[in-house]
Amino acid sequence: MTIEVSNVSKSFGAYHALNGVSLNVGDGELTALLGPSGSGKTTLLRIIAGLERPDGGEVLIRGENLTKQPLRDRRVGFVFQHYSLFRHMTVFENVAFGLRVRPRKERPSEREIARRVDDLLSLVQLDRLADRYPAQLSGGQRQRVALARALAIEPKVLLLDEPFGALDARVRKELRRWMRKLHHEINVTSVFVTHDQEEALELADRIAIMNSGRIEQVASPAEAYDRPATPFVSEFLGFANRLPCRVERGFARFGDMLVPAELEGYAGDAIAYVRPHEIGLARLNGRADIGRATIDSIVALGPDARVDLAYDGQRIEVLIDRERLAELGLNVGEPCAISILRAHVFKAA
Amino acid sequence: MAMTAVAEPRSVRRWNVLPGFGLSLGFTIFYLGLIVLIPLAALFLKAAELDPASIWKILISPRTLAAFRMTFGASAIAALINSAFGLLIAWLLVRYRFWGRGIVDAMVDLPFALPTAVAGVALTALTARNGWIGSLFAPFGIDIAFAPPGIAIALIFVGLPFVVRTVQPVLQDLEPELEEAAATLGADRWQTFRKVTLPSLSPALLTGFALAFARAIGEYGSVIFIAGNRPGETEIVPLLIVIKLEEYDYRGAAVIAVASLLAAFLLLIIINLLQRRLGAHRG
Amino acid sequence: MAEPRPDRPALIDPRWARWAIFLFGMAFLVLFVALPVLTIVVEALRKGWDSYFGALAEPDTVAAIRMTLTVAAISVPLNTIFGVAAAWCLAKFDFRGKTILMTLIDVPFSVSPVISGMVFVLLFGLQGWFGPWLRAHDMKIIFAVPGLVLATMFVTLPFVARELIPLMQEQGAEEEEAARMLGASGWRTFWSITLPNIKWGLLYGVLLCNARAMGEYGAVSVVSGHIRGLTNTLPLQVDILYNEYNMVAAFAVASLLAGLAIVTLVAKSMLEWRYADQLALTRR
Repeated sequence: MTIEVSNVSKSFGAYHALNGVSLNVGDGELTALLGPSGSGKTTLLRIIAGLERPDGGEVLIRGENLTKQPLRDRRVGFVFQHYSLFRHMTVFENVAFGLRVRPRKERPSEREIARRVDDLLSLVQLDRLADRYPAQLSGGQRQRVALARALAIEPKVLLLDEPFGALDARVRKELRRWMRKLHHEINVTSVFVTHDQEEALELADRIAIMNSGRIEQVASPAEAYDRPATPFVSEFLGFANRLPCRVERGFARFGDMLVPAELEGYAGDAIAYVRPHEIGLARLNGRADIGRATIDSIVALGPDARVDLAYDGQRIEVLIDRERLAELGLNVGEPCAISILRAHVFKAA
Repeated sequence: MAMTAVAEPRSVRRWNVLPGFGLSLGFTIFYLGLIVLIPLAALFLKAAELDPASIWKILISPRTLAAFRMTFGASAIAALINSAFGLLIAWLLVRYRFWGRGIVDAMVDLPFALPTAVAGVALTALTARNGWIGSLFAPFGIDIAFAPPGIAIALIFVGLPFVVRTVQPVLQDLEPELEEAAATLGADRWQTFRKVTLPSLSPALLTGFALAFARAIGEYGSVIFIAGNRPGETEIVPLLIVIKLEEYDYRGAAVIAVASLLAAFLLLIIINLLQRRLGAHRG
Repeated sequence: MAEPRPDRPALIDPRWARWAIFLFGMAFLVLFVALPVLTIVVEALRKGWDSYFGALAEPDTVAAIRMTLTVAAISVPLNTIFGVAAAWCLAKFDFRGKTILMTLIDVPFSVSPVISGMVFVLLFGLQGWFGPWLRAHDMKIIFAVPGLVLATMFVTLPFVARELIPLMQEQGAEEEEAARMLGASGWRTFWSITLPNIKWGLLYGVLLCNARAMGEYGAVSVVSGHIRGLTNTLPLQVDILYNEYNMVAAFAVASLLAGLAIVTLVAKSMLEWRYADQLALTRR
């Protein structure tokens, strides 16, 4: 089931949550909506689900325009941030809920329902807990019940709102891995919302990075990291040094350094985002086309070292292999040469 | 109803920094003892002056039994009706927006604020055969005032705010996500209400019912005027107590009063237990 | 009061249901609240404005007004002091038996008004514990003002305490402790720190206490002896006039009390609206 969001806008009073947002999700894809709070990602998810009505634009699932369809007919599976399990029902009853409320004609027999629920509970590895109440489960278990409950109705698409947000770090990591496997097995088109970029990078087939009600970039995790489309994405996804420069004839000039800039036909002031591992360090050796910087501190991070430098009145971070740093024999307080290997350049605001 | 659980103060063992502990506690206990505890003790002691056989005789006399039947029966019916309509009105106030909602909200509190005697005479005038409402039913031979229905009407009036005010905050704080979850799973509004919302509200509903019931059992002022007060038929327990007092049968009055207090107490315990069972697995 | 959420599609009830709920709910309220109040007004004015004011000016009625005000003027301040004292020790200190104390404070709420008055008859009535002693000293409590006051105090005892206890508990004791550390005396701390913090809750509690004190019927009826001109409060006066079939007068007095109730409700609403946050703390 493909999802097509066309030019959707939504305001709450004077607050504009979404401004003409469009997004396509392919059949069977696992897409992440990533962004800081207030970016509109949860609003977009809820609009796809039918939990909010957009002020403008439309949502199509497998070509059907759902914008006018009542919520309960959409067959969209939704997993809430705080699970929203029915506290007075057992795990079994929670998962069976969607099947039991179907109109009489479409409702399976109790035996059939029991079979399906058992299958689902096995899928999420909770079969022994069918008679427990949500209050007796851990956070991770509750999350899996919520997932099973949403899957019980054989949804066209599966939507998850910060599914692991309320869990502690270790459980989160486990569930992420488990979720990835599950998605491979069941292959339902899924969209999930998160503010945790590591989660998005690890889980998603594609990421839509959102900011202030707009989508800044939609790309695979690798592509978004290597080729950020906007300054916001550069800053949000991983750390990047922010360096001012001048663009002339396809090159960005940093003092005496020239680096190819992917800005066609522009000349003038610009901002460059340079990843820590995309800056080279060397001893000062008299070359002209380098930058001069002073080492402020060196921090060992496993196999790498993070070197903080003062350059041109700014602090920059460089990530370098520790062995290589040792070979260079550079120490704190010493001047050194830096070279910018790669820069993502954007016009100055 | 007792105030809900005490939130612990943020630090303990404070009475050597702040003064007045002895004074305030002493005064509180003294005052409470003087105004409430000693008088109530007198009640129980008075009832105990009789031997068990006499006590039993008073309790099972036809007049007493009829009064208890009338009081508890009418109170239960009134509390049930208040529960149904109270839920309705709470829903109205919390979920819907309409012009005059603030006024309607204040109206709910009127039975609290209005003196019971005033309510009594007003409701009697309204439901008497020649009253606005009474005249609608008179042609069918149905008497409201001076008959059991009148008692129920008065008890509904006094109990009205209890259910609304108990259910309202719970309904207000109900997570909308629960109902949204039910909707995404395919339930329509009625199914969602029955299977998700109502179970979440039932503890509050039960509490409201208990409060309305307890209030109705002890109600005097508003019922006295509308009841007709015929012994064995439309006499309520509080009136029976007053009559015994006027006859200077203090002991008899005390016995009935203690019985009524214990019955109300028992009722509250039962409801408390039911509450606990309901909430047992909810965490 | 928080706004409802009619904009969430999942929570919108079908149209017919909304109308049905609205109509049934409103009909119930009109029937049980609006009509009775209307009846009072109509009956009171049945014989015109002259009869209305005439009834209110009757000496017995004026005496009843005075008595109601007197009883309230004694019992409300006393119960207020009690409420503050109880809230002080319960909120700022830790000791065993707190829950029991709070339950006991709530007792008058669960006791029928008739029983509330009756207990004082048992103590101070002619056949009561102190009856002979009082007679010997020519003091009357039952069938006299002290009895009215005691019965009213019993019934309205919890009101101020109930408002203040949760409020002061929520506020904790840090500010008072800070004041003490800075050298303020106990009373100074109370007047300058505690009182301003609780003033709206206090006002609210006093308002409710007063409304109940002025309107109490059952308890007062038992202890008063209904002696006109001497031990009659306004609610009792309504009773007497009604039983004499003096309908206009009875409803005229009733209208005064109804007016008091409405003023109380308006004041209550205003307090709730302006000081919602502080008062919300008492709703636990």
